[in-house]
Amino acid sequence: MKNEICELIYNREIAKSTFEMAFRSENMAAAALPGQFVHLKVNEGLYPLLRRPISIHRIDKSSGVVAIIYHIMGQGTEELSKKQSGYIDVMGPLGNGFPIIEGKKCAVVGGGIGTAPLLEVAKNLSDCDAYLGFRNCTYKVEEFEKSCNKVYVTTEDGSVGYKGYITEQLEKYISEYDIVYTCGPKVMMKKVVDICASNNVECYISIEERMGCGIGACLVCACKIKEENGDWHYKKACKDGPVFNAKEVLFDA
Amino acid sequence: MLNLEVNIGGLRLKNPVMTASGTYGFGKEYSEYYDLSQLGAVVVKGLTLKPREGNKAPRIAETPAGMLNSVGLQNPGVEAFLEHELPFLRKYNTPVIANIAGNTVEEYCQMAEKLGSQVDAIELNISCPNVKEGGVAFGTKCDSVYNITKNVKQFCKVPLIVKLSPNVTDIVEIALSAEEAGADSLSLINTLLGMAIDINSRKPILANVVGGLSGPAVKPVAVRMVYQVAKAVNIPIIGMGGISSWQDAVEFILAGADAVAVGTYNFVNPAAPIEIIEGIKKYMDKNCYKNLSDFKGKIQAC
Ligand SMILES: Cc1cc2nc3c(=O)[nH]c(=O)nc-3n(C[C@H](O)[C@H](O)[C@H](O)COP(=O)(O)OP(=O)(O)OC[C@H]3O[C@@H](n4cnc5c(N)ncnc54)[C@H](O)[C@@H]3O)c2cc1C
Ligand SMILES: Cc1cc2nc3c(=O)[nH]c(=O)nc-3n(C[C@H](O)[C@H](O)[C@H](O)COP(=O)(O)O)c2cc1C
Ligand code: FES
Repeated sequence: MKNEICELIYNREIAKSTFEMAFRSENMAAAALPGQFVHLKVNEGLYPLLRRPISIHRIDKSSGVVAIIYHIMGQGTEELSKKQSGYIDVMGPLGNGFPIIEGKKCAVVGGGIGTAPLLEVAKNLSDCDAYLGFRNCTYKVEEFEKSCNKVYVTTEDGSVGYKGYITEQLEKYISEYDIVYTCGPKVMMKKVVDICASNNVECYISIEERMGCGIGACLVCACKIKEENGDWHYKKACKDGPVFNAKEVLFDA
Repeated sequence: MLNLEVNIGGLRLKNPVMTASGTYGFGKEYSEYYDLSQLGAVVVKGLTLKPREGNKAPRIAETPAGMLNSVGLQNPGVEAFLEHELPFLRKYNTPVIANIAGNTVEEYCQMAEKLGSQVDAIELNISCPNVKEGGVAFGTKCDSVYNITKNVKQFCKVPLIVKLSPNVTDIVEIALSAEEAGADSLSLINTLLGMAIDINSRKPILANVVGGLSGPAVKPVAVRMVYQVAKAVNIPIIGMGGISSWQDAVEFILAGADAVAVGTYNFVNPAAPIEIIEGIKKYMDKNCYKNLSDFKGKIQAC
């Protein structure tokens, strides 16, 4: 594995403060799995110092292109959004990714920027519905429509789709599914996990933890994982995750 | 011919660049990026007698040109290290240095005994700011530094490196205590105790409230401490703190370090240690230095 200096293809605003960036890397596109992430150096200097973990949104193996979607949260993502052309230093693909289990009825459930890593999951499943929750503006819904049977959209202000939270929609149809894949804000994922648990639906979640190395060497990305005997221990979100079976994850941390 | 070899208190290195404890796991992850045999040495994650889970997350906060960590010595324990981690590192032609921390002097001694000569050197971590018991408590007073060094030395079959904390008023007197007690070499600096607050939630960013500052932000402090300690002691020094380039490494060597370690910057550039080795070679070539001793500690008198 290597960090690679990749050619930037585009970096454009697709919704308020939300950007889609694509870069070229034959190796990464060939190796990437749905739910894996890349670790990006947003500029060349020492400030910001650390890389930023961003999920892989789209993998185009034939043209060797990888795309990500990110929301401006602070200085790192702000810097990233200013890049118009040139090159970007990328480590990846990192992490484990979502297990793609065929022959089952599946749903992907995403909240906001958490919808980004779910597109590749949906594309790789033959029988999948999508539940996409946004605050006010939506993005990439049409991409999900291409790969999913049904797509449910909610916005908190009701400007697009149903008004309310996406978990309210999921609750209505949960009995139809064997497997749910989810990514989004912690409160949303917690709710999704509860809904799945009370309906005996298998659930995989992608968790976010602050990261340093991104490859398993520094132990800063600890998340609590349950053992069968009721004990728990810390696992690395970057290497053992970011995707875990919802049964294993303790949400209190 | 350039000669990058260096002898750190009985530990022979083929070049002066090693990895800093806690930033490099047990080497496996970075072995996917380059051949670990190229390194001067690998220093593994801080070990304790029994496995430790470490502190609650968040354990990291980014700060200007640096970061705070509060990992809290999460590690599988010294026995699991010997059984499951060391064999992998032994496949490489690179010395392995075990970094150890304990709650009591006895624990440190027991660990040194268990490690025996299975590792190439032991680094005594008496400077971890992230654990309540032990850690830095041993490293901030001269008599306790003397006491622990003296005791562990008796059980240590390999060269003993004492790692110093920068969170002290006078690092020179601490360094002298370690030397007097029989340390074969010194490494400095460990992280500086720091804190960061999220102004929106009004909460500390780290679950542990405080953590250790590392990265380029600490470099001037580290260079100053290496400079002061190098003038005072007669044992070799491993300099670290914020090294991100070969220029930084050369700066430490000029200040008096015999070797250097790369920590936080591994996270930014996985190949940093290797690029730094290459850079030092070019610097030596350009200045017609044949050995590291040709420029070690050779800053112009001021
Ligand atoms: C596996 C993984 C996948 C992710 N995928 C995406 C994605 O597809 N799109 C997207 O917009 N965001 C994603 N994030 C979150 C993204 O990493 C953070 O929003 C980003 O690091 C914020 O950086 P900043 O400098 O703008 O913000 P600041 O708040 O200024 O960052 C300060 C520090 O905190 C860290 N940090 C802050 N928020 C987070 C967070 N939520 N998660 C992890 N680290 C954080 C930063 O990396 C940085 O070190 C992902 C996070 C993880 C762990
Ligand atoms: C995430 C992290 C974990 C660390 N863990 C240890 C440790 O277990 N033992 C130790 O002696 N030092 C530990 N350190 C300190 C480093 O070894 C080093 O002394 C310090 O970070 C300064 O170097 P740097 O600025 O190059 O990182 C740790 C540092 C970081 C960033
Ligand atoms: S980010 Fe370093 S171990 Fe996960």
